[in-house]
Amino acid sequence: MGTNGAGKTTTLRAISGFLGIDDARVTEGAITFKGARIENRPPHENTRRGIVLVPERDKVFPNLTVAENLAAPVAPAAAAIERRRREALAYQFFPQLADLRHRVGGLLSGGERQMLALASGLVCEPELLLVDELSLGLAPVVVADLLRRLAEIRRQLGIAILVVEQSATVALEVADYAYVMENGRIVLDGTAERLRRHPDIQEFYLGRKSGERRSYREVKQYRRSRRWYG
Amino acid sequence: MQLIVNITVLAAIYALLACGYVLIYRVSRVMNMAHGELAMLGAYLLYTTASLFTDHPVGAIAAALVLSLTVGVLVYVALMRKMTGQMVLAAILTTIAIGILLRGVIVLIWSAAQQHPLQALKFSNPSIELIGGARISTCAALMVLATVAVYTALFVFLRFGRWGMRLRAAGQNPLLAAQRGINLNAIYALAWALSTLTGSIAGMLIALDSGLDQTMVVIGLKAFAPALVGGLDSLLGALVGAVIVASAEVLAIHYVDPLLSDVVPFLVLIAALIVRPWGLFGTREELDRV
Ligand SMILES: Nc1ncnc2c1ncn2[C@@H]1O[C@H](COP(=O)(O)OP(=O)(O)O)[C@@H](O)[C@H]1O
Ligand SMILES: [Mg+2]
Repeated sequence: MGTNGAGKTTTLRAISGFLGIDDARVTEGAITFKGARIENRPPHENTRRGIVLVPERDKVFPNLTVAENLAAPVAPAAAAIERRRREALAYQFFPQLADLRHRVGGLLSGGERQMLALASGLVCEPELLLVDELSLGLAPVVVADLLRRLAEIRRQLGIAILVVEQSATVALEVADYAYVMENGRIVLDGTAERLRRHPDIQEFYLGRKSGERRSYREVKQYRRSRRWYG
Repeated sequence: MQLIVNITVLAAIYALLACGYVLIYRVSRVMNMAHGELAMLGAYLLYTTASLFTDHPVGAIAAALVLSLTVGVLVYVALMRKMTGQMVLAAILTTIAIGILLRGVIVLIWSAAQQHPLQALKFSNPSIELIGGARISTCAALMVLATVAVYTALFVFLRFGRWGMRLRAAGQNPLLAAQRGINLNAIYALAWALSTLTGSIAGMLIALDSGLDQTMVVIGLKAFAPALVGGLDSLLGALVGAVIVASAEVLAIHYVDPLLSDVVPFLVLIAALIVRPWGLFGTREELDRV
């Protein structure tokens, strides 16, 4: 969680890897996954390693059909049978996609597009699925439905899922653990249970006022002074 | 009737050369200005393998095809790979430099004199009489067949092949393609390999039909016109563009003046660009990148 511009997308993209265009790269610090240093590795390598990103925008191939969007990703398991099983699994979690098989990605609705993006991410056999802005531009019912499915996917496949979500109410309801980012840093983290009861979260993310009213500027000041990390 | 045959043969030449421009442009937005030179190199490679395997024409052709495929991969890996992520203009300038370099190297190795791979292969090129009294040379007929075969194969590959889909995917959104596990370098190398292979097939057949010298570069450059008329990112467009440009050229030669041959493709190109700047089958949003 975190306000616009807090650095959530940047963090996820740094983990997933840059193409090296426009000089984008990690200049400081380390990113470690299962004991291996992965900063500044190309995205396709990290994907095969098990880190799969569902980006904020441009998350499906607009001129490829739904079926092609699910057939194009490269999965670690090259065997054709395993591959077909994997695509079938994607359709099983998102049955609506089966009826849209021959529609091109660019003509899907926002919710369908997000489903296709998640499904094509699953085809890559992630161990860690990163989902940026799950609810961007989607109706609350659609978001609730997607989150239920993500919980189901996690339960069945036993993978870790990291979701960037604007609404703290929604996020803290389904998550096990949450991080709050401000100005490019994690300022608060803990189990969802603990964060739900945290006074800062109650006040600024869940919108429950405790005590006197504060203006937005004061809120920012307040947050800055309450930085947990670095 | 003879006019129709001439148009078909010229359209086949243009189409076979144009698909190479389209393949590379489609995945990387780079216009490969060395395509004509690469096609010419393919023809020279055939000339050399033909002189080496004197009694095995099939082996000579197969070896030349494998070699041109390798050349395509090598050009990408050695020269163009460093250009990925750089400005498209820089990449295009690099292809121009590669073209100039290739022309020089070819003269050094094979001299500027006209060569005849047909004789080297000990083939003959009898002309075939068609219905209506029109005539077509065997090599020209082969050119039409090769174009049909290459286009069919490319359509099937891009439409149904997993790597064909990946090629299209990488062309639409390289970052997402990489995030979906697709190795972009492999995709670009594949595009360069296919482009150089198809271009070389065209070059070889042209050389078999009418001898081999540096004028092949002009044919390669003229084939850029149909690719652009068709929209640069569309194979179907390249095919239609080839028919349009070939028709205009053959008719101009026949009814006006044979000297117009080298001018007409570019006149058609300019006319088409004025009417439909993004090409007949091109994507409109591509325009800013051209
Ligand atoms: N750790 C950081 N240090 C400095 N600037 C950052 C950092 N993380 C992000 N930024 C900058 O903040 C801006 C917004 O970041 P972004 O990741 O898009 O935010 P969000 O996705 O949370 O809305 C970008 O311009 C980015 O370059
Ligand atoms: Mg963001």
